[in-house]
Amino acid sequence: MIQLQKISKHYPVGFGKNEILKDIDLTIEEGEFVSIMGPSGSGKSTLLHILGLLEEPSAGAYLFQGERVDKMNEKKRTQLHRGAIGFVFQAYHLIDELTVYENIETPLLYKSLSGSERKSKVADVLDRFNMVAKKDLFPNQLSGGQQQLVGIARAIVAEPRVILADEPTGNLHSDQAKSIMELFKQLNEQDKITIVQVTHSDLNATYGNRIIQIRDGHIQG
Amino acid sequence: MFTSYLRIAWRNLWKQKVFATVNMAGMSVAICVALLLSLTAYHEWSYDNFQENRNNVYQLYRQDITAKGVRVSKSFSEPMADVLKKELPGVKHVSRIGGGEMPVRYKNKNIYLDVEMVDADFLQMFSFPLQKGNPHTALDKLDQLVLTPQSAQSLFNQEDPVGKTVEVSINDRWKPFVVSAVSDKIPDNSTISYEALARFENVEDYHEIKGDWHFSTYPVMVEMEPSAKAAVLNKGLITIANKYMADLIKDLKTMGGTPDEEGQLLRIQTIALKDLHLSPNSTFSTGLNPLYPWMMLLLACLIIGIACINFINLSVARSFTRGGEIGLRKALGAMDRQLMMQFWTEAFLLCFISLLVSMVLAAILLPYYNATFRHDLSFRLLENGWLVLAIASGFFLVTLLAGGYPAWKIARVNIIQVLKGKLSLTKGGGVRNGLIVFQFVVAALLISCTAIIWQQLNFIRAAPLGYNTTQVISIPIDNASQQALVAMRNRLASEPAVESVTGSMLNLGMGKDGSSGNWVLGFDYKGNQVSSQNIVVDYDYVKTLDLKMVTGRDFSRQYGADTTGVIINEQMAKQLGEKDPLNIILNTNGRTFHVIGVVKDYHFESLRNKISPLMLTMSATVRLNYLFVKVNTNHPVATMDKIYGIWKEINPLAKNDPSFLDENADRLYRQEARFSKIFMSGAILAIVISCMGLFAIAVLVIAQRRKEIGIRKVLGASVSGIVLLLSRDFLKLVLIGVFLATPIAWYGMQRWLSSFAFHTEIHWWIFALVGVVAVVIALITTSLQAIRAALANPVKSLKID
Repeated sequence: MIQLQKISKHYPVGFGKNEILKDIDLTIEEGEFVSIMGPSGSGKSTLLHILGLLEEPSAGAYLFQGERVDKMNEKKRTQLHRGAIGFVFQAYHLIDELTVYENIETPLLYKSLSGSERKSKVADVLDRFNMVAKKDLFPNQLSGGQQQLVGIARAIVAEPRVILADEPTGNLHSDQAKSIMELFKQLNEQDKITIVQVTHSDLNATYGNRIIQIRDGHIQG
Repeated sequence: MFTSYLRIAWRNLWKQKVFATVNMAGMSVAICVALLLSLTAYHEWSYDNFQENRNNVYQLYRQDITAKGVRVSKSFSEPMADVLKKELPGVKHVSRIGGGEMPVRYKNKNIYLDVEMVDADFLQMFSFPLQKGNPHTALDKLDQLVLTPQSAQSLFNQEDPVGKTVEVSINDRWKPFVVSAVSDKIPDNSTISYEALARFENVEDYHEIKGDWHFSTYPVMVEMEPSAKAAVLNKGLITIANKYMADLIKDLKTMGGTPDEEGQLLRIQTIALKDLHLSPNSTFSTGLNPLYPWMMLLLACLIIGIACINFINLSVARSFTRGGEIGLRKALGAMDRQLMMQFWTEAFLLCFISLLVSMVLAAILLPYYNATFRHDLSFRLLENGWLVLAIASGFFLVTLLAGGYPAWKIARVNIIQVLKGKLSLTKGGGVRNGLIVFQFVVAALLISCTAIIWQQLNFIRAAPLGYNTTQVISIPIDNASQQALVAMRNRLASEPAVESVTGSMLNLGMGKDGSSGNWVLGFDYKGNQVSSQNIVVDYDYVKTLDLKMVTGRDFSRQYGADTTGVIINEQMAKQLGEKDPLNIILNTNGRTFHVIGVVKDYHFESLRNKISPLMLTMSATVRLNYLFVKVNTNHPVATMDKIYGIWKEINPLAKNDPSFLDENADRLYRQEARFSKIFMSGAILAIVISCMGLFAIAVLVIAQRRKEIGIRKVLGASVSGIVLLLSRDFLKLVLIGVFLATPIAWYGMQRWLSSFAFHTEIHWWIFALVGVVAVVIALITTSLQAIRAALANPVKSLKID
């Protein structure tokens, strides 16, 4: 489903350049649950951003469902982005000015669905996550775990093929982290959604079925 | 989608109350002011646009080339109208216009009406439709009168006026007229106005001017066929000028004028009716500078510009605090275009609320605005659909300008940086600083212009005019009979406060009746052409006005009628060049004058002009229009009221209030006074709005530098050092603004001052003062925030990250 061939990423620093990723080759099959691990600064977040089309690689080829993404124009890439990829962030990144309901609805607005379709999809997700009672609250009225739950609800409401999660439990305590990871496992097994997470925690990594170790921009082993 | 944008915009406004208030208050005030100013400009430009023939009707004026330059006169001789109608190719209608305020009576009703004496073509030339009566026959006979609904109402009340006979007092004789028609109400924006129309043949001096080419006394309007070309019209006028004004042209030649490129020394020029209101050569000119509406519009744009800059700077700065949301929306699949739409929607919402607030504000301010700036603006202008459309599109443009740039900038930010929270305010500071500098350029420009205009007005007011301004009362005579004048003199003789009384054809300065004029004589003196202004006056003129005699005597009853005597001023004496002026005999167009005295030059005209040669004469036939009364009293207002009371008794119809001559002198410069008021208001607004923006930017920048301030304090920086550090950046911008504004203000004001023959100098310290004022205001605005930041506990600010 996802294929990276000789992907490199570097930033200009002064007169030289700072290499983040070097010649990454990686294939992720449909339905996998992959955990990317590595020390700080090893390039794992950058890899995730490249997978999520938020950053462009400096070199190499990226195929998503067999198509060259790095050659796509902005419009097509945005289409892919909206339809196939969902994001979950460490800092939740909910919009403070919007209610739970409206936060979940936001990605659907960008897919230009009709009002009634949006309503039924958001209602389904709220129901599934047992958050119907909280739909009119604002993010700052929720606990961290609940906020991340909204973040995940928002990621799956547009029915993506892949969820990319950047340290989804980094800001949570262990009980909350456990239930979030259970939820990911359930989404992976029942809904057949491919999941790629970046994590520091060995425990979280065990929920996935494959671990990729990154060190100094290279995949280990 | 759109409702979602509106919802989030609304909640954002609530959350960021300070910024929303600063933005909205600035925008509302600016839109309100711009609305008033541009409506005023529109009103001035809309003059006569109801006239169907505004492109084909022209006022004629004469332009002579003399040795000293071009001289313009706006009046023509009586036979000119007939000649134009018969000999000008393509002419359709011609009308002379004369008349003025006259007593009109019906039964026991006796009132003053503005009776304009016109030719029969008048009603066909101008779009003044008739409610009652036939436009083709309404002015057929010499004794017909056309009224307006208001004048008909005040004369006849509910009666039907048509067919009734009223009497008009012309030259102290009551003459019967039959009301033939009632026209519609005259629109506010009409250059030509009247309360009643009669035939031109009724003007008071008609028998004197009839058939005489020597007197040029009344303006002429012509209507051309729509097909007539401008070149044909010009050629026709040249032919007529050469044929009928040969004498004048000969005189001009002997006076040493150089013909223009087509060999003409004298030209009859035209002003189309559509341009008449703002043309300086119009006989109906109100003295309004044609640039005035443009200045209003420019001021409106500048103030809106300043408010837009606030808006842009604040929106950009604020958007960085919303970096998370922007990045997230991008990650959720928002295109740049959609983000721009969202932020533009927010700007639009804010501007729209401001527009509503400003409308209410404008409606409240309108009466005050009209009173202060002597405008007669009304919101009925908004019945014009095009104008509403223009305002709407102007508003749309403002939202695009104010919301578009920030939206564009926000949409382009790098999403990864945003998500990592690395976005900082320091980026884009160049544009922000440039915009702040621009704001202060405008503010400093307006302040220095106001200061210089104000200085010049003070200079004019303090300048010695050469006559007694504080003790002399001027009473407009309003066409009252000569018997009334004699009666008035007799009554005043017994008043203890009255020192002396005289009369004059022309007022000094501008009275409350608002009229002015001059009379230039040109004649031959010992083979040289001389020209001089002529004012017809009464006995005791020099004594009453405290003019200084250089030699000779005042007009006096001891010499009988004294109508062969003339008093000249020093300029005239210089022009004549005689050693002993008292021996001079002047022959002007059939009359002989003996110089009886020379007065020291005094400013009988405004200080815009140099003092020109002047002859004071007495005449039995020319009417006096103003009475000058010199009083000696400690209660000037009470005395003036008393004297006016006496005048009211003698002439119950008196319409125009008397005034002291110093008020009259001030009134000459009321346009400048109005200008300076408008500029001052603009300057204050500009400074206030700019400072509001500066304040908000200071809040944001200082918030961004909290950590830096904390570290500096921990390392031992003093409070004053930190305040200086924070304020310095802003002061630099203000100073650059003042420096840029100075040469522009200097150049513009130098040009304005040169329109006065007598003017003050521009001093460098004005600009220094403006700089100090701007810096002090900016310092107060920013230092409050800076002090607060410097006093904050560094432990707190360092803990946050």
